[in-house]
Amino acid sequence: MCGIAGIVRRHPTGVSVESLGKMAASIRHRGPDGYGFYVGQRVGFAHVRLSIVDIAGGAQPLTNEDGQVVVTYNGEIYNHPELRRELEERGHVFRTRCDTEVLVHGYEEWGVNLLDRLNGQFAFAIYDRNTDTVLIARDRFGVRPLFYAQRKGAFYFGSEIKAILACGEVEASLDRRGIDETFTFWAPRPPRTAFAGIASLEPGTYGILKDGALWLRRYYELDYPEAGEEPADVIEQLDELMLRSVGMRMRADVAVGAYVSGGLDSSITASLAASASPQTLRSFSIAFDDPRFDESDFQREIAGNVGSIHAVAAITHDSIAATFPDVLWHTETPLVRTAPVPMYHLAKLTKDSGIKVVLTGEGADELFLGYDLFKEVSVRRFCLRQPASLGRQRLLDRLYPELMSQGRGGEFWRRFFLEAGSPSDPLFSHLPRFMLSARAREFYAPEFKSGLGEIDVLGELRASLPARYFGWSSLNQAAYLEMTTLLSPYLLSSQGDRMAMAHGVEGRFPFLDHRLFEFAAALPTGSRLRGLREKEILRRWASRILPPRIKQRRKQPYRAPDSPSFFGPNAPEWVGDHLTADSLRRVGVFSPASVDGLVRRCRSGLATGFRENQAIIGVLSTQLLHHQFIERIATHAPLPVRGASVMLSETAPAFT
Amino acid sequence: MQVRTFVQENFLYMHSNFHLADDDRLLDKGVIDSMSIVEMISFVEREFGVHAMEEEISDANFGSLAGIARFVTEKQSALAA
Repeated sequence: MCGIAGIVRRHPTGVSVESLGKMAASIRHRGPDGYGFYVGQRVGFAHVRLSIVDIAGGAQPLTNEDGQVVVTYNGEIYNHPELRRELEERGHVFRTRCDTEVLVHGYEEWGVNLLDRLNGQFAFAIYDRNTDTVLIARDRFGVRPLFYAQRKGAFYFGSEIKAILACGEVEASLDRRGIDETFTFWAPRPPRTAFAGIASLEPGTYGILKDGALWLRRYYELDYPEAGEEPADVIEQLDELMLRSVGMRMRADVAVGAYVSGGLDSSITASLAASASPQTLRSFSIAFDDPRFDESDFQREIAGNVGSIHAVAAITHDSIAATFPDVLWHTETPLVRTAPVPMYHLAKLTKDSGIKVVLTGEGADELFLGYDLFKEVSVRRFCLRQPASLGRQRLLDRLYPELMSQGRGGEFWRRFFLEAGSPSDPLFSHLPRFMLSARAREFYAPEFKSGLGEIDVLGELRASLPARYFGWSSLNQAAYLEMTTLLSPYLLSSQGDRMAMAHGVEGRFPFLDHRLFEFAAALPTGSRLRGLREKEILRRWASRILPPRIKQRRKQPYRAPDSPSFFGPNAPEWVGDHLTADSLRRVGVFSPASVDGLVRRCRSGLATGFRENQAIIGVLSTQLLHHQFIERIATHAPLPVRGASVMLSETAPAFT
Repeated sequence: MQVRTFVQENFLYMHSNFHLADDDRLLDKGVIDSMSIVEMISFVEREFGVHAMEEEISDANFGSLAGIARFVTEKQSALAA
């Protein structure tokens, strides 16, 4: 796992190693173990390395035998041994044991069709000097990031936006629409980002840059060819896929650890990792001092069950507030929740414990319909078939027992769900969440709101849906929306890659093996969500490896304290500084008067609802983003050539 | 009037020119969401000394300012009787 960056010019006017050095320096946290450059007249690549496979021989950028194909790559190709064998049989000569080299030889052999053969999480750029083209590509589900910008005929890319800004040739300004989309979807919808003119390469997509033009094409499409019945050997198939997926993700030349949340999914991955690990597994968890968020009891049980050496990152309100600015520096996008912050602390604990790679349960809720949202859409449809049935409506109460335990819901509360859009709306499943998230927009400054014009973010999402979407069941439609609007742009990014890589830790996600996805997507939805029992088939299968209490446990949404973190007695000074009328006016997104009312409610402890919690986190994060990236972007001294593990130049490619 | 002030100070403070009629549906107008309903019911109970049973938390009783006023009056009358 690493960081990549580069510049591609329209004409051979040169790429300075100093610019590449600055880009690499800005993302050094992704690759503290080494760095390297390729410098040409038209193309320059930078690479910072987190060494995990072939520690001695895996430095980058890397070329093929004659130096005509150059790659800079971030990620893991889990099936690299199998691909290597196939390529060697076809006459390719490998110089390293590293998965990187599979890319250059595979590209020579298969061109862009190589992508169909890769099983992994990756983002890379390949410069083909024979055709004078650059290929950029990203994995199927968007685990690894890749951003790009085009200015005055030049093309810039990087694992993080800050790498593009660091070269000094791309100006930073916030993208109004990217900001606005955050306050509906929780993140800008790719390819849009929070920065104007900087795009995110969409998952499952590649781009070919030739003669100054970028041609984008999708090589992998999500599909849900739902079967009428489960195959007779469904448990055996799932068993084989799970074991294989975890087995491939244990491939590393360093110890692989595991995150344990206390829920079903990470318990499965930790259990399988412990079985496959040659040494005692190291596991890591988040504990909250606030019992409403804490799952320590279950985490300890899992750690004991798998026999791991367990470590805990203890999170308090104060630690969330103290590190929120650092978290924003890494997310590079506004947030509506503080949930990434504990993940940042967890990665630091992992790194400090000497572990560079962790398995997590990410992806299982999307594949096996684990989120409450999936139950919610089923119940809403069920209710709307007989709107007068109170018995049906009472099912909604079972979805959110935390709220109902206060005895404060009733018919009125249920109406919120029942009136949130028509079942004929293709976004029916997500409308309650989208509408609730969009309440933060009520705090916009009038000028910002008018600057947005008549943009209909939901209409744009509806228009972007593929034709096959309309042939899927409502639950599969919901799963698709979850994968495309939340998993990649938010969960795998702000809560995933960015928090882990801030500390040089690589997350691996067995549930996001594409064969496992395809298996789950072809199951009857009833195998995944049976009544109100989520991840049904996964529980059935997991009964052979997990304790009953964990296997039967109802999903607890992962959350962290929001507003109270920033308004306690130890609140850091920056909170007040960024909430002054002057500061808000300078950034121009939120109304000082509205935020004044919001802050008053937060300070009084009255801001307990989603709207105000999302709004205050949105305000603080937008203010911080502007402060850190627009008002005073950090400058980076370039990484010096003399310290590089690899220094390739166009005129004299040298393998070091 | 107390309910209107409460609603304006707590749920409409971010809207400077929001006109809310007595019969406007609070849910339709986006004044409250699923969580703020709880907050509003708690306020009504605390402020007026009434208790809303679960079956009384309905659109008719809490869906508008007029509905809340009617509900409070009826509950207080019942208590006084």
